[in-house]
Amino acid sequence: MKANIRSACPWLSLLMLLSLVLAACGGGSGQSQTLNVLISYNSTYPAQQRQWMQQIASEFQKATGATIAWDTFSSSSEEQTKLQTSIVSGSGPDVFSFGTTFVPTAQSTKGFTVLTDQNWKQVGGKGRFFQQQLTMAGSSPNQSIAVPFVMRPFAMVYNKELFQKAGITTAPTTWTEFVQDAQKMTNPSAGVYGAEIDPSDSFDPWKIWWMFAEQMGGSFISQDLKTAQMNSPEAVQAVKFWFDWATTYKIVDPNSMAWKAGDAVKAFANGNVGMLIMTTSTLKPTLQKSSVAGKYAFAPMPTVPYGLQQRPANGVPAATIVSGDMLAVADYSNVKDLAFKFINLVTDYQHQVQWTKTFGDLPVNVQAANDLASQDPLTAAFIKAEADATPTPFTGEWGPLEVALAGVSSKLANEVATNRYDPSHIKPLLDQANQQIQSGLH
Amino acid sequence: MSIQPIPETVPAPTLVLRPERGRRGIFGGRPIWLIWPSITLLVVIIGIPLLIAIYISFLNLDQYTLRSWIQAPWVGLGNYVTALTAGNVIGASALTSLGVSLAFSLLTTLIITPIGILAALTVNTRYRGRTLVRTLYLVPYVIPTFVTALVWRQMFLNGTGLVDRFLAAIHVANINTYWLLGPNSFWAMVIADVWASWAFIYIMVLAGLQSITHEVYEAADVDGASSWQKLTRIVLPQLRHILALALLLSTLYHFNNFTLPFVMFGTPPPLQADVLPLNIYVSSFQLFNFGLGGAMSVITLIIMLIPGFVYIRALRLGEVTAS
Repeated sequence: MKANIRSACPWLSLLMLLSLVLAACGGGSGQSQTLNVLISYNSTYPAQQRQWMQQIASEFQKATGATIAWDTFSSSSEEQTKLQTSIVSGSGPDVFSFGTTFVPTAQSTKGFTVLTDQNWKQVGGKGRFFQQQLTMAGSSPNQSIAVPFVMRPFAMVYNKELFQKAGITTAPTTWTEFVQDAQKMTNPSAGVYGAEIDPSDSFDPWKIWWMFAEQMGGSFISQDLKTAQMNSPEAVQAVKFWFDWATTYKIVDPNSMAWKAGDAVKAFANGNVGMLIMTTSTLKPTLQKSSVAGKYAFAPMPTVPYGLQQRPANGVPAATIVSGDMLAVADYSNVKDLAFKFINLVTDYQHQVQWTKTFGDLPVNVQAANDLASQDPLTAAFIKAEADATPTPFTGEWGPLEVALAGVSSKLANEVATNRYDPSHIKPLLDQANQQIQSGLH
Repeated sequence: MSIQPIPETVPAPTLVLRPERGRRGIFGGRPIWLIWPSITLLVVIIGIPLLIAIYISFLNLDQYTLRSWIQAPWVGLGNYVTALTAGNVIGASALTSLGVSLAFSLLTTLIITPIGILAALTVNTRYRGRTLVRTLYLVPYVIPTFVTALVWRQMFLNGTGLVDRFLAAIHVANINTYWLLGPNSFWAMVIADVWASWAFIYIMVLAGLQSITHEVYEAADVDGASSWQKLTRIVLPQLRHILALALLLSTLYHFNNFTLPFVMFGTPPPLQADVLPLNIYVSSFQLFNFGLGGAMSVITLIIMLIPGFVYIRALRLGEVTAS
């Protein structure tokens, strides 16, 4: 008998382990349906975001009987990791929220539902959304994977007090004027500089260089998306012009080579910077609590390249990329209908207006945008900027391209910081980045 | 008069194991089946992911093939060659990052070892306020690494950071000296890590010191040993094993430290601070080149096994010598 018990023990332990595994796997069965949603954590309005989540979950439950399980990410790194693990494992959030420029990379994973006409009807129809936003919804109109959620056009913000002191009456419309205005405001002994630069940031460098290059008629990737052109003369000039702010025109803080976007915002908020480019209206709450509260204004970024009176024939304004957040439904989701009902809910007129009033992002819902624009000139200006936005090339290599350009920026910042900078180093660095991105273009 | 080093281990009483027969065998009738749940978990949590990582290192696995990763194109040793030569688009090859990581981990361990030993000696004997000092010593170690990194990042900011201000005040360096870029970034990383981790050696050494009995010190006093003789002939030989373990663990920990450089420098980091874990992270999760990241991880694993292997060999050698 004792021997029998002993021989049964290994089987018993195995059975217990299996029971635990099965219990863990089957924990959710038999309950009401749940929609898992992953969105960006709002560090500026955490309490309001919690409240919004509760409200949406409550309304969603009333309408569908299903519950929402929220998950948030606080950085692009965290977002990418969650997306990658979900795609590989075939489980995770049903609805993902990600930035417009990440949609191409997300689509290249083939892990998201391609929207049918029926799906578009479920989310209110394409006519509900800004047309420019739809250019980043998928590789082609028939291959859309993402639905616009909010938009965030880029602009520049300037210090009105510093403008006044320097005798500047209007925001610059060309980069030549920008440099001249910045030089007028720069006063190193007072720690004041006309502009800022953040070459150690992961994202700002590529956005700024892309804008400069597009305005000069260049592009980082050819129109057929098969050839990388990150080392074109326009791209080299774009990079050089930005670093000239520090090395030639001396319009930025010489200590800013290690800066990230947050450091630049902090300097502007402290009243030490005249013009902060590539920013969005979501900066307002931060600035309202700072020493420049009431002393700042937004304006479109200049659209004419440095040294020119007008853009070259093939140049585009590119004052902003098509920017904002989009919602996509994971292909592995088994509650896709619920997912589209959720998207329909958060992009309808009422909720889009509410979102804008609470968080400051602009609505992608055309009707909501028009109504808000008619009430506030600043909102109207931003909405107009978004209407003229230029989409970034829709390729799965765009994500790696951003990282590659951040690498180039970091190396050049290293050179400036250690007094080894030479503009002739830009081309070889861009050549190297271009070669690596080219190898990944499909 | 000379003090003879005392043997670090006392020979254990000889155990005579009776030969077992049949089912009792080498396990001596112990309920060895009880370890099966642990072994199963180890296989699931460590063994299988390790095998998958090795498999991935031979694949061209990127964003296009991620979903059906098992069918990703096989590239043989291609990722290993790329890892050791070309590197990723940021520029640092695995070999470069390996050099940075090795220098960082060895140098940091080298610096924190005497600090940790000295700190442990200062609180080994009883005195008023010893508990408070012991608690204070642990503060850097218990602060989360990302907080430490954030604080040091602010301190190392050129122009406005405390480090530059202090160095400028005592006329050692220019107030605009860059610490987060260029060659200084390596030293910034070392300084921050030394501050955060010396307490590990301190804890280990203190544990070793506490295990040395009073009788040994008293015997040394009777023989007229000086403090230096007690340190070099009694304390350090007694600490040899625990110190070796502390050095090994410390080196491995520093080599694998991802959070500190990630938060201090962000991505992409300066080349001088592009440690291997950060390089692997950027290659895998930001550039979607999982094959390359996998190859770098396997290289790291092999390198990490070397000190561990040497340590185990040394330990066995010590046991044989002692017996």
